[in-house]
Amino acid sequence: MHNGDFWSLLKSTGYQLGPGPLPAGREPIESKIALTQGTTIFGLKYKDGVLVAGDRRATAGTTVMYDRTDKVLEIDRHSVMAIAGVPATAFEIARVMEHTFKYYRRSQLQELSLEGKVRALSKLLKENIPMALQGIGAVAPIYAAYDLPRKEGKIFFYDILGAEFEGVEFATSGSGSPAIRGVLHYENRWGARPLADLPEEEAITLTMRLLETAAEFDSATGGSNREAHLYPVIKLVTREGVREIPQKELESLYANKVVGRPGVGEPGLSIG
Amino acid sequence: MVYDEPYRWVEAVRNRRDYLEEQLSAGSPIVALPFQNGVLMATLGAGTPKLYEVYDQIAFGGIGHPADLEKLRNVVLDSAHIEGFNRSPVDVTVRRLMKFILAPMVKQAFEEVLHAPYIAKIVLAEIGILSGQPLFFHLNYDGVFEEDERGVVLAPTALMGERMNGFLRAAGETHPLSFKEALQIALRTWAVSQLPTDLEAEKQAGAPPTPEELDPILKRSLESHTIEVALLDRTQPGSSKYRIPSQEEIEKALKGWLK
Repeated sequence: MHNGDFWSLLKSTGYQLGPGPLPAGREPIESKIALTQGTTIFGLKYKDGVLVAGDRRATAGTTVMYDRTDKVLEIDRHSVMAIAGVPATAFEIARVMEHTFKYYRRSQLQELSLEGKVRALSKLLKENIPMALQGIGAVAPIYAAYDLPRKEGKIFFYDILGAEFEGVEFATSGSGSPAIRGVLHYENRWGARPLADLPEEEAITLTMRLLETAAEFDSATGGSNREAHLYPVIKLVTREGVREIPQKELESLYANKVVGRPGVGEPGLSIG
Repeated sequence: MVYDEPYRWVEAVRNRRDYLEEQLSAGSPIVALPFQNGVLMATLGAGTPKLYEVYDQIAFGGIGHPADLEKLRNVVLDSAHIEGFNRSPVDVTVRRLMKFILAPMVKQAFEEVLHAPYIAKIVLAEIGILSGQPLFFHLNYDGVFEEDERGVVLAPTALMGERMNGFLRAAGETHPLSFKEALQIALRTWAVSQLPTDLEAEKQAGAPPTPEELDPILKRSLESHTIEVALLDRTQPGSSKYRIPSQEEIEKALKGWLK
């Protein structure tokens, strides 16, 4: 019996996350191989819960590997994990998390607490330290959830060693995040209203503008592509569960609120 | 060892059959059938829950000793989650869980006469993610299993199972059942288990029991039992399709009928 612990069950079958430490004397290969990575992801608390978003680009060195990546992964009905770093490891960690929460609920006949879920991700990142330190599997995710018992949205961000931090108003990660972190701080402090009071549509508009900003300054972050009908992935985590904003909806918001200089002087949105 | 002699072994197996029949005889039956959104499972109980979620699209129901049911439920849980992780959630099917994991394990325990058998009968139901067709499995304490697409009945005795199955088949509708219709059929099928046997004898040659006969029995049973319902609901958002209907949903379905 594994006491509801999927990780311990998985390990009992011989599984391990990544190849473990390199043999003595072997150099990390990071300098020789361009790894798939690069991103802007962030989460912010808005009126109804948490909004989590990510651009769609995956890069390896200077090459764009893929422009339809979904970096905001639904882990269960009330939580998402946004990934920054090496996707191979990040997707694997997300899969372990998803099974971990389901296995716990089904075997223990109760939902794992939010604290338990936050720790589970931290534990997996610690398992990944050998990979992270060798430069071939570092992941710095954001985990956001709606805490049903406390009736509020929560955001956590992690460093590649598994330390967890709670983002009070917002959290950012990935190579493009420095470009928007300051904007978020500014908007929250001196914007027409604090982030936590933003209604859904304003939060989404702000998000699209932020990702556009990140793409402007970070080559590893992809902007929206109107020709290909490609827009960021935006997911809302509220009391009702996780909901992805359809690309069609983003398309019209993009046309009306992002292109050109719309919304200048509009109440509620100070970034014009 | 006395069981080294073949006839002793056969006798021992027969004895444990009697023992298990007796141990299981007081269990409350479980009915599982398809409805328009997937699978509905229902029973009436007074104690421990009998219906469980075991995987995204798979539900488990059991009667018997609670500790044995827990053990078997955990075996199914472990196999399903490892398989779903290593391959894909759609590769976890009731057919594979039953044929390769559960049935061989229960059969082996039943025939190893020096060890205790599982005091358990189990039903597994799946929504059929790829096929769109629900599938049901029934497992006896001796490892014998049966599959059916029209639903199954898990009854403490073979005779009761037959009577209930007869009713369920006769009530089987040609159109996809609503939640209310499916719940009604499930509960009336359950009530068949409570029919006095002499009444059943009268019915031998004739039609299955009527709602007029069954509903008063149900009403009486509800004074001391509570309804337990579980759904595998295709319309449920996210990957987990198992859902326990709210008390209001159940009350609404019973309104104007039992209440």
